[in-house]
Amino acid sequence: MSGREIYLVGLSHKSAPIEVRERVALTGDLLKAALCALKGSDGVAEAVVVSTCNRVEVYVHADGIEPARGFFTSRTAEADGHLYAKIGVEAIRHLFRVAASLDSMVVGEQQILGQVKEAYGLASAAQSAGPYMSRLCNRAFATAKRVRSETDIGRGATSMSQVAVELVEKIFGDLKGRTILLVGAGKMGALSAKALAVLGADRILVTNRSPERGMALAQQVGGSFRAWDELQRLLVEADVVIVSTGAPTYVVTREMVHQAMKARRSRSMCLIDLAVPRNVDPACADLGEVFAYDVDDMEKVVQATQEARRGEALRAEAIVEAEVMAFARERDARAALPVLAQLRRHAEQIARAEAERTLSHLGPKLDEKGKKSVEAMAQAIVNKLLHGPTARLKAAASTGDGDLPGAAAELFGIENEPARPESAPADPVEGRAAASSERS
Amino acid sequence: MSIVILRIAAALYAVAAGAYIVFFSRPRHRAAATAGFWVLASAFLVHAVAIGVGCSEYGGAEFFGLRGGLVLLVWLLTGAYLFLQRYYKLPTIGAFVTPLALVVLLPTLFGTPGHPGVAPETVRYPSVTLHILSAVGGVALFAIAFGVAIMYLLQEREVKGKRFGALFSRLPSLDALDQMIQRLVRAGFVVYTVALVAGTITATAVWNSAWSWDPQQVVSLGIWILYGAMVQLRHSGWHGRRYALMTLVGFVILLSSMVSLKIVPGVTRHAGDYGARVSEISQ
Repeated sequence: MSGREIYLVGLSHKSAPIEVRERVALTGDLLKAALCALKGSDGVAEAVVVSTCNRVEVYVHADGIEPARGFFTSRTAEADGHLYAKIGVEAIRHLFRVAASLDSMVVGEQQILGQVKEAYGLASAAQSAGPYMSRLCNRAFATAKRVRSETDIGRGATSMSQVAVELVEKIFGDLKGRTILLVGAGKMGALSAKALAVLGADRILVTNRSPERGMALAQQVGGSFRAWDELQRLLVEADVVIVSTGAPTYVVTREMVHQAMKARRSRSMCLIDLAVPRNVDPACADLGEVFAYDVDDMEKVVQATQEARRGEALRAEAIVEAEVMAFARERDARAALPVLAQLRRHAEQIARAEAERTLSHLGPKLDEKGKKSVEAMAQAIVNKLLHGPTARLKAAASTGDGDLPGAAAELFGIENEPARPESAPADPVEGRAAASSERS
Repeated sequence: MSIVILRIAAALYAVAAGAYIVFFSRPRHRAAATAGFWVLASAFLVHAVAIGVGCSEYGGAEFFGLRGGLVLLVWLLTGAYLFLQRYYKLPTIGAFVTPLALVVLLPTLFGTPGHPGVAPETVRYPSVTLHILSAVGGVALFAIAFGVAIMYLLQEREVKGKRFGALFSRLPSLDALDQMIQRLVRAGFVVYTVALVAGTITATAVWNSAWSWDPQQVVSLGIWILYGAMVQLRHSGWHGRRYALMTLVGFVILLSSMVSLKIVPGVTRHAGDYGARVSEISQ
């Protein structure tokens, strides 16, 4: 029996600091070369490497774990202490959880699925991924899709700038024909202004006490710079005002906003104060059609999202678990099928040989009917003998007990080889490919 | 007969309302919104059949009373919503409009309407049909505006109060709701204007005078002025919370005055004894 299994060796943001991660992370051609090397190493049938800025994970379908571990230890000696290794169902579960964004730094983030898909695509192109990885990865993608559509794990804003986008969207819908005003050259302000670009603002205005920094920022966010003393007039023009200056007092006072709203004929205005200490007088929120938020308000939204996602993650885990179990069952059923086929072939061979021998002894004494009876008896003995084992092997396959096929093969003295294509009618192409790859 | 068909329609309204509420509480189930739309559309058609059968049974006199008015209101309200849904694709509004339709329809479902009698010969003008349809149509549009205004105020309270609860992720943006209120009020005003013109034409023909200080006339003119003022105020910059509140108050005034006019017997010549008065006058 061959001990070919799915192995995972990897490190992630949970196990290793960035210094170690960046030393083993690979992209593009380097990754391709590494995949080829893995595939070329002893006992490795298939390999997929997921390499992102938060994790590097090597999945191999192989005889042993060493080649996967070697991928890391050959790159940096430091990796050793940060590695985690998983085998079989554990490795499958890990991949499914990663693809479903349950293992991400920000649980529920959208990018990881694309990254895993890319990793599989690259492995396919490098021909290091074969039928096993194809089944495994596609199941992982399907699981991730289920999680996304059946839970709310991807819902809500997880960063300040996302919260800003969500708030502005709730108030204005989109920003077509509207103006964003950036007050101050703070980093958070610039980030939020960039994030708001998805809503398609017509104009971005930037004002800052020091014109140099203001102009630089204006260029950076694709806006135009206005002088600081124009602020009052700018408030009349702007629909979204993002304030992040280093000033210790209110830069935007209630009186200023009150005046601006009069001139705006009460068109709605959204004030986002990203500065600490605050730069926008909280009393502005009392004015009609003025929506004012500070850092604390936005932080609360982020926390609410995280809380909601934690709840959704529990539901997602249940989906992942069901899919992992289903996949493992199918895998074991596949593993049991060849044993069954071999067992039957083996038994029938013996029965046929014994029947022939008996018939040749009896020879002419038997008529056609008698011959048929002897052959039927031999077949019946085979069927009756194998009935129990067949049922139990099939049951073991469907409950996910992977040891029984191996034990059966051991007991009956048959090799647990993949079946020949004709005995695996379910998937002849994959059967052939698996057979050829495992014999290599 | 028509009452049975109407009850079937009501059952369909209930199913549609259920589907829309399911969609509202579980926005991932988009299928619920689609189901809601089609069930509501079939309710609309069955309701149309009920109205048609009712007309052939009672000769249209039904629609001079409050009951017929409500039946017609729900039908036009649904039609207007289905029409809007084709263009705006905001199925969350369904969770507000369909229960409203059902509640308004409920009082018409119990007991038989009796025989309201055939509409008197003297009022069988095409302008009467137009008057009834456009009056109820205008009110239907104001009713939807009322529903959207409630949505606006709920949403505004959450956004402004920094409480981002269930509504926050489900309702359209404040701006979209605000614009929708404005359009509905404007469209309703235009349709209601048609009703007043048709009513004036009819009154001139039937009562020989366009204006006779009938309470219904006074109230209708008042409502027309109220909504006209809202259309006008919009142009001078009113919007948002104030506008939504005004839409709310406007509709409450409209509904309460209409209902009380119909409930108090004999207070207006538009009421159930309409036919008798016409015959008195003509005698």
